[in-house]
Amino acid sequence: MKIRKKKKSPGTVLFILPTVLLFVLLLLYPVLSSVFYSFTNKHLIKTRLDMVAFENYASVLRDKEYWNALLTSSKWTLICLAGQFLIGFTAALSLERIKHGRTLFRTLLIVPWAFPTIIIALVWKYLLNGVSGFIPNLLLKLNWVSAAPQFLSNKDLVFPTLVFINVWFGFPLIMVNVLSALQTVPKELYEAARIDGAKSGQQFFYITMPQINPVITLLLILRTVWIFNNFDLIYLITGGGPAGLTKTVSIYAYEVGWGLKSLGRSSAVSILSLIFLTIVIVILLQLQKKTNKNE
Amino acid sequence: MHGLKKNKVRVAGSYIYLTILALLAVFPLLWIIVSSFKSNNEMNKFPTSFFPKELTMRNYNLVFEELKFGNNMLNSLIVSFASTVLTVVIAALGAYAVVRFFPKFGKLLTQGLILAYMLPTILLAVPYSITLGQVGLLNTRIGLIIIYLSFSVPYALWLLVGFFKTVPIQIEEAASVDGANKFQIFVTVVLPIVAPGIVAVAIYTFINTWNEFLYSLVLINSRDKMTVAVALQSLQGQEILDWGVMMAASTVVVIPSVIFFMCIQKFIAGGLAAGSDK
Repeated sequence: MKIRKKKKSPGTVLFILPTVLLFVLLLLYPVLSSVFYSFTNKHLIKTRLDMVAFENYASVLRDKEYWNALLTSSKWTLICLAGQFLIGFTAALSLERIKHGRTLFRTLLIVPWAFPTIIIALVWKYLLNGVSGFIPNLLLKLNWVSAAPQFLSNKDLVFPTLVFINVWFGFPLIMVNVLSALQTVPKELYEAARIDGAKSGQQFFYITMPQINPVITLLLILRTVWIFNNFDLIYLITGGGPAGLTKTVSIYAYEVGWGLKSLGRSSAVSILSLIFLTIVIVILLQLQKKTNKNE
Repeated sequence: MHGLKKNKVRVAGSYIYLTILALLAVFPLLWIIVSSFKSNNEMNKFPTSFFPKELTMRNYNLVFEELKFGNNMLNSLIVSFASTVLTVVIAALGAYAVVRFFPKFGKLLTQGLILAYMLPTILLAVPYSITLGQVGLLNTRIGLIIIYLSFSVPYALWLLVGFFKTVPIQIEEAASVDGANKFQIFVTVVLPIVAPGIVAVAIYTFINTWNEFLYSLVLINSRDKMTVAVALQSLQGQEILDWGVMMAASTVVVIPSVIFFMCIQKFIAGGLAAGSDK
């Protein structure tokens, strides 16, 4: 009883006050003002502000370029997710299987994760550039190609190349999280399954997957959001080019806001993304609920 | 017998696969470092040898003397260090309060903060630049430090809640019987127990702020206040792209990140898995 009374003492509020203030000032207020700006003609430099109702939304939704960007973003998110999970998962399972050098391999494999995006962009541009780049020249020397491939300006190569770079950077996070999730699966379950004669494939789908399902779903959601929203990787490598082929919604929003200086319209683009992502996440969560029921 | 052989093949396959992945993972880092010591002449030759024939410090001299990159590094250090300290203080107090004093409200708050993760940076960048402009903090390091809290505190709080949950309440009760007040208990009893977690969170925050690009791009526009990420980007705009110089600048930016990251790799491993059952 005494402890309960103490809990209500005003001192405890001081502990949480900074967090609440931060939440309100740096997250809640900006989001609400973004919603507000999306209904105005807010300009980057001009100070005049008029309400324009749904005009920003209408003009965005009428813009063919927006729909192209949305398509690019969706394609980009799906393919990168698949790549990151494929490599991350297989790397984690391989690490589980080996006996020696596990720490060494894990340490080497997480190196890309520590890279600042700008350095990822610089080093890959340097390695891949069509004139003096190491990789195109190496392929030439090996006689695998007849002319130095233009990885970042050829319209057929640029998208797969960006996906490769994204997966290179993103797989370690998946690997590390899958690995630590794998270690939470009780070993007895596998022993029991082995006695029952379950093959390793069966063990994976009937024991491992259901056990680590919650972590995977969380990872899937966080990564979907991150890849979809990510701006700097593509912006720094191709800037959305060549010919707008790699222009995602984030780059589109940046161009509208800081290129065309139309912050109101840029806000509308971002709000639309937020709605889109919310729908995707709700669907993902529903799917997880369903698979849980089926098991 | 057959199963044993199959297993051996699998293990061998795993080693091969991991070796290839590891080579791919570290190659760019090695390439940056060795290139930074190559002369211009050697950089543009093909086949260029992996290791430089003669080591030159020319690139580093250019980076620090002509481009004044040291100034940008100082900016990044100030911004990252200040936001890390603020983040750790705010998040540690907040996480403790969530665990001990306000479990219900705390849960709501952490969920709200996770939702914040969903917001596109570009969405927040608009109101941030407007508001900072209104209060006169646009193009200042202080403005950038405050804005960095928006993404570092939620994540730090989320991670720290997990650590504070491991602190046994009996220890705190014992201290409170001895007459210590809540703040004293927090500082002298609780913090030492979660110190490893706090250090890890601090390092993680430091790396993330050190690596940040978009906010720095839109909120800072004068060269003398630029952080390393944006300064590197602006180097690309110069007439002649000098890869040697770029790689030298990259080396001094990426090395601290990688070393810090190695230090907390054990902690990173448990991060999300621990968070998922919160």
